[in-house]
Amino acid sequence: MPAPATIRDSSLAAEGERKIEWVAQHAHTLNALKRKNLDDGALRGRRLAMAIHLEAKTAHLAWLLHEAGATVAVTGSNPLSTQDDVAAALARRGLEVHAVHAADPAAFDAHLLRTLDTRPELILDDGAELITRLHEKRRHLLPGVRGATEETTSGVLRLEAMQREGALAIPVIAANNARCKQMFDNRYGTGQSTLTALLSATNLLLAGKVTVVVSYGWVGRGLALYARGFGARVVVVEIDPIKALEAVADGFEVMPLAAAAPLGDLFLTATGSINVLRREHFERMKDGALIANAGNFAHEIDVAALETLAKEKRDARRHITEYVLGDGRRLHLLAQGALVNIAAADGHPIEIMDLSFSVQALSLHHLARHAGQMKPGLHPLPEEIDAAIARARLELLGVQLEKSTPEQEAYLRSWR
Amino acid sequence: MPNSILKDPALAPDGRRKIRWVEQHAPVLNAIFKKYLSDGTLRGRPVAVCIPLEAKTAYLCLLLHRAGARVALAGTAPGYVQDDVAAAIAAEGVTVFAEADATVDGFEAHLNRLLETEPVLLVDDRAELTRLLHTTQQSRRDNVWGATEQTTSGVTKLRNLAREGRLAYPVIAGNDALCKHLFDNRYGTGQSVFAALLSITNLYFGGKTVVLAGYGWCGKGLARRAAGLNARVVVCEVDPVRALEAVADGYRVMPLTEAARLGDFFITSTGTNAVLRREHFEQMKDGAVLANAGGVDTEIDVPALGALAKEKRDVRRHIAEYVLADDRRLHLLCGGLLVNLAGGDGHPVEIMDLSFAVQALAVYHLARHRGELPPGVHPLPAEIDREIARLKLETLGVGIDSLTPEQQEFLRRWR
Repeated sequence: MPAPATIRDSSLAAEGERKIEWVAQHAHTLNALKRKNLDDGALRGRRLAMAIHLEAKTAHLAWLLHEAGATVAVTGSNPLSTQDDVAAALARRGLEVHAVHAADPAAFDAHLLRTLDTRPELILDDGAELITRLHEKRRHLLPGVRGATEETTSGVLRLEAMQREGALAIPVIAANNARCKQMFDNRYGTGQSTLTALLSATNLLLAGKVTVVVSYGWVGRGLALYARGFGARVVVVEIDPIKALEAVADGFEVMPLAAAAPLGDLFLTATGSINVLRREHFERMKDGALIANAGNFAHEIDVAALETLAKEKRDARRHITEYVLGDGRRLHLLAQGALVNIAAADGHPIEIMDLSFSVQALSLHHLARHAGQMKPGLHPLPEEIDAAIARARLELLGVQLEKSTPEQEAYLRSWR
Repeated sequence: MPNSILKDPALAPDGRRKIRWVEQHAPVLNAIFKKYLSDGTLRGRPVAVCIPLEAKTAYLCLLLHRAGARVALAGTAPGYVQDDVAAAIAAEGVTVFAEADATVDGFEAHLNRLLETEPVLLVDDRAELTRLLHTTQQSRRDNVWGATEQTTSGVTKLRNLAREGRLAYPVIAGNDALCKHLFDNRYGTGQSVFAALLSITNLYFGGKTVVLAGYGWCGKGLARRAAGLNARVVVCEVDPVRALEAVADGYRVMPLTEAARLGDFFITSTGTNAVLRREHFEQMKDGAVLANAGGVDTEIDVPALGALAKEKRDVRRHIAEYVLADDRRLHLLCGGLLVNLAGGDGHPVEIMDLSFAVQALAVYHLARHRGELPPGVHPLPAEIDREIARLKLETLGVGIDSLTPEQQEFLRRWR
């Protein structure tokens, strides 16, 4: 029996159930891989701790892992992204849940630690929230942990930092870096869902608006693509010369943030870094500029600086805070700087998370079978698993591949 | 002062917040108010407005009210009424007859109450008010100086009425103004329909086949935005020129009976009824999503879908799942009502700023030229259309060129 759940209100479960059912209907790849791989017994009886943006798609993943025999404990990876109805539904289905929407930092930390206290053998992490706490606050549990997977770019960055300092004591699969994850989830998933959130939150027109996309990684590429698709004029800001050149070749205008600040109608950050939009930029922005974050952590926008600059602050619309500056200019911050697609909408499209969570599920399955042979440190998802996921998805779509002829294969193997 | 009919006056603060957001993003209407509307022309004039009742409509009414008009307002269908906005606008002194959960009869009663305010000027949508004034409410018709019409489907009805020689007053086809249909129908519908589809379904559009029935201004906007989401677009048309335009724009064109089997999403914007019907439902894929973006609420034959289904259930907010006899599931959004309004906040604010600038100046024009226009359907005078675009460009800080005297001379020559 799981420990008592830490959730907002168990009576919300029915609405959460309906959301999870809709996901189950569209998670074709994950459902197929569960039957094909997860049900082979490798996960049976394994204690698994998950930190994730707790909404219907992650709930479906947690449920399938539970169905495959794992003992699953779930917490949110960001208090603003936790949906209380989904948390209630999962708890009712018999999973251990510690997650409450808009929990304060202390409560959020407590939920993560309670999830670790289930003594997991496997960890599915987002932003390295569980793994860092495991190494700092629950070291005595480290020997029981066989391995972990990490969902996000920013989490992988943290884990790389740990590894550099020799601090990472368990094998971690960088699920984020799998091709079936970042090429689709980070690019198209973030692109579509961030724009969805912006459109519904603002009810403003994008066509003809100058949209400043800060950073041109996988996420930034997707944002730029979808903003253009809605008719926006896209400006890209980069620190990496190759990515900047790629943005130029993709037809976008590229300039430093100081130059872009007075031009933008809309600013989107996706850097994985901190204080990207800060006082010097707020001071130059146009009246009415919209500011949103599509990167994993809320600190890409220096909200504290915005608070200091503002003489007045009010709710302008659901998910929009208006800051009135000393000279009367109004800046509109979305979702308090948290990931806007998750905090102000339902997050990535289901079919995208179907791929991402196929990566996660097969990573955990791989760890359950092979963690003993893996050294502590970051590992890529094995190439053949990545390819198997893409193949499964294509099969479900009815898309057929071309095959190389024997002659072509021989040609590619030859060197003279 | 007639009494308003609305759900709950206590909802006003939420509605007020929504209207304030609109006010901030309606520079053209604000400029028009200062330059024209506030000159006293509309003072004391009863104006009836029948438009989907959300914050942008409310702001138009508020400006007409501030210009001195006696404004009364109803929605165009219960599904298009936001109760908090209705409460907020009533608190400002506009008379409101609208409730989101009204029955069909209740809705008709609201329209009748609206006409009982004895309006001389009408801002109409889908020609709802003109329909009543030419059927059950003919006695109130003689008061009317003129009307403006907001939609393509309404203009079609009005032309039919005029063709029969029965239209009793002048109507400005607000919809046909360039500053209206080029932006509202195309970019407004394009963006807001996808905003609604994306949030309602949480599904991915990349690589999906989106079938668009109708390639008018709405269809063109929908196609462009669908392509922007990396969807594969299929267009179905009855007009050969529009079909050819769709081909030239790079889309696949085919009859709906063929497209029925291919589509992951179907969006109608034809202005006619029963576009998606039994013969199409029978061929659709499991999981197909159906939505209407057109001015007619019966573009999707929902009764036929109901008759085919052995089971119907709510699967997500605004999504009804119809399970057919062979277990295929079809997902109907918002009961076939306009998906961007019934499942979202409607068109972007800046788009309606243009559309309502057309409506406001059309009403103003009718008031100033009372008695000068014969009964019938009239275009918005071109100089008003151009003035609206000019004001919008000004607020954007966009400068444009003008012809040199030599060029002007050249264009006047014929030899």
